[in-house]
Amino acid sequence: MGSRTDVGKSRRVMTWAIAISITLAAFYLLDQTVMSMQGLPLNWDLSPAQ
Amino acid sequence: MRSDSRYPSQRAGRFLLLALMVLVIDLSLAQATAAEQLTAGAENVEVAAASLLPAPNPQRADYPNIGVSSRNLVWIIAQMHLFFGALVLAVPIFVLVIEIIGFRTSDDRYDDMAHEFMKISLTAYAITALFGGTLALSLFLLYPHLMTYLMRAFGSQVLVYAALFFLESMLLYIYYYGWNALRYGNRKWLHLTLGLLLNAVGTTLLVVANSWTTFMMAPSGVDPATGAVIGNIWEVMKGPLWNPLNLHRFIANVAFGGAVVGAYAAFKFLSAKNPEEKAHYDWMGYSSNFISILAFLPLPFAGYWLMAEIYAYSQQMGILAMGGILAWLFVIQAVLICTILLAGNYYLWTGMGRSEGAERYRWAIKYIATVLILGFLVWVTPHNIIYTAAEITRLGGGNHPVLGPLGIMPAKNIAVFLMLICTFLSFQLYRRADKVITVSWQNWGNALMASIYAVAIANIIFAGVYYGYFTNTVYKVGSSVIQVMSTVFVIVSGVVLDTLMFKGAKTLHVTWGKVSSRSQYALFALPIAFTWLMALMGYVRTSIRTHWHVYTVMPDNSPDNFIPTLQTVGNMVTLATLLFLSFLLFIFWIANLSGTRQLPIAADNNPALAGGKA
Repeated sequence: MGSRTDVGKSRRVMTWAIAISITLAAFYLLDQTVMSMQGLPLNWDLSPAQ
Repeated sequence: MRSDSRYPSQRAGRFLLLALMVLVIDLSLAQATAAEQLTAGAENVEVAAASLLPAPNPQRADYPNIGVSSRNLVWIIAQMHLFFGALVLAVPIFVLVIEIIGFRTSDDRYDDMAHEFMKISLTAYAITALFGGTLALSLFLLYPHLMTYLMRAFGSQVLVYAALFFLESMLLYIYYYGWNALRYGNRKWLHLTLGLLLNAVGTTLLVVANSWTTFMMAPSGVDPATGAVIGNIWEVMKGPLWNPLNLHRFIANVAFGGAVVGAYAAFKFLSAKNPEEKAHYDWMGYSSNFISILAFLPLPFAGYWLMAEIYAYSQQMGILAMGGILAWLFVIQAVLICTILLAGNYYLWTGMGRSEGAERYRWAIKYIATVLILGFLVWVTPHNIIYTAAEITRLGGGNHPVLGPLGIMPAKNIAVFLMLICTFLSFQLYRRADKVITVSWQNWGNALMASIYAVAIANIIFAGVYYGYFTNTVYKVGSSVIQVMSTVFVIVSGVVLDTLMFKGAKTLHVTWGKVSSRSQYALFALPIAFTWLMALMGYVRTSIRTHWHVYTVMPDNSPDNFIPTLQTVGNMVTLATLLFLSFLLFIFWIANLSGTRQLPIAADNNPALAGGKA
């Protein structure tokens, strides 16, 4: 019973970790794309490149 | 009318798609009309010669004096025409969408609701025309030189406008009065086509009239030195502000129209005599609020585009609007927009009581409310105010050390976008309240949605704070696009994920009519705030021309060629708002009266008849 709960818990944690990672990556790309399209490129750490 | 859960009305995607299609068709129509006139105009030597005349330069004595301020008179009449014009052009747009939904679902209640909405539009139509005629006469009487110049610039386009107005009238009356005669089968297709044509003509009217306004703000097709008309009609129409204003007014009109019919539904709900009526008008009010807030969400983006184009055209105009005396009106704008958001959200929260499934999401309301209130406070914080010398000494400068940074755009952008995201969250929770999601991947879907909200909010705050306060101005301005796109990302992904997750979802019981009377007052607050907002910001937009009838080419030498005090502006804007609301009550009363039928007088209760019998 206990191990099943642990498996369920770790699966939930995994789900959330993957969801947040995907979203972070999507918004990182969004920031880079939106700014470079305006002629305002960013460095990898999102600081202004100009 | 049964008060059950068969009142689905979330058709956001279809509504927006159709609205966009109508706008695109209309822009094409306007272009085609302009191109025809261009060909005709180029062949006319006399017109070409006349177009070389410089812009008039009337002196003060040339302006007729009728004993009252010409500007104030035209201000009120033009504002009333714009209010009613917005209502009349907007209502048929969402009426057509509702009618299509009714046709596709074979649900007569949609059809009945759409027909009832049109009743309000029809009554307002005559008033729109009356104010339009009065406005034209007033302008020709009080500003004859300006009108002569505008007639020279736009030429026979004004007759095209008049012809379109005739067409609009015919289509409107056929659409409304032919509703029941063209209700089913192939005839319904004919009726829908009439509705589409009505909207195409209506939106063309809108964009044609917009070209007059934007020509006065940013003239094109004229010689900058003399004001002589040197371009064809298309060049005169297609100034730099034309399309931004077209989009802004189109979206704003839909939001405004939705709010006005929502107030009608609230009025009918509060005066309903039985549960069936209450259920019907509760549903109608909900649908109206849905339309209004849905159209309102993208409105700030269109507003940003318009202001960006104004800045690009003339920095002087932009700075006067947002950095000079008129900037104070943007603070009032913030109060009004926050009123709209608070009222719209409050209506949704109270409306969640219609479904028992809403209990799952009630905990979130207090957090949404907190963000809305904090956003409101940040938005209304002015950058600086007029201090005494002692106050400046105490503060250590012209700006408050803590609140000062909240007075500039980065802070306000953060507030606005977080408020928009929270409003969308309220919508999403409302839509989920009467459903139990059953798809196998619901945990993934929920985790993804929650992550999108969290990261988008963090991204908006990061972009506002980092680029707004710690980098140069160019990056500061550019980062606002990140905030716009983050908000759009949340809205689009929310709609897509919910659509996929609602497949096969179990629907819980919704009791329409089971809503507090307080919620209906929120529906009244929406059109009041919208009306005030339109009057206020319409004034700002037109006032940045300062002492020019047509910016930089035709000076305004009338006695009113100055920016009035903020007190005067407040009074005028409020007067226009109150007048419109009074007319609106009249329209509601008329719409109500048309559905009232007097019962025959019984002989026993009629002394004359009773006496006759005796």
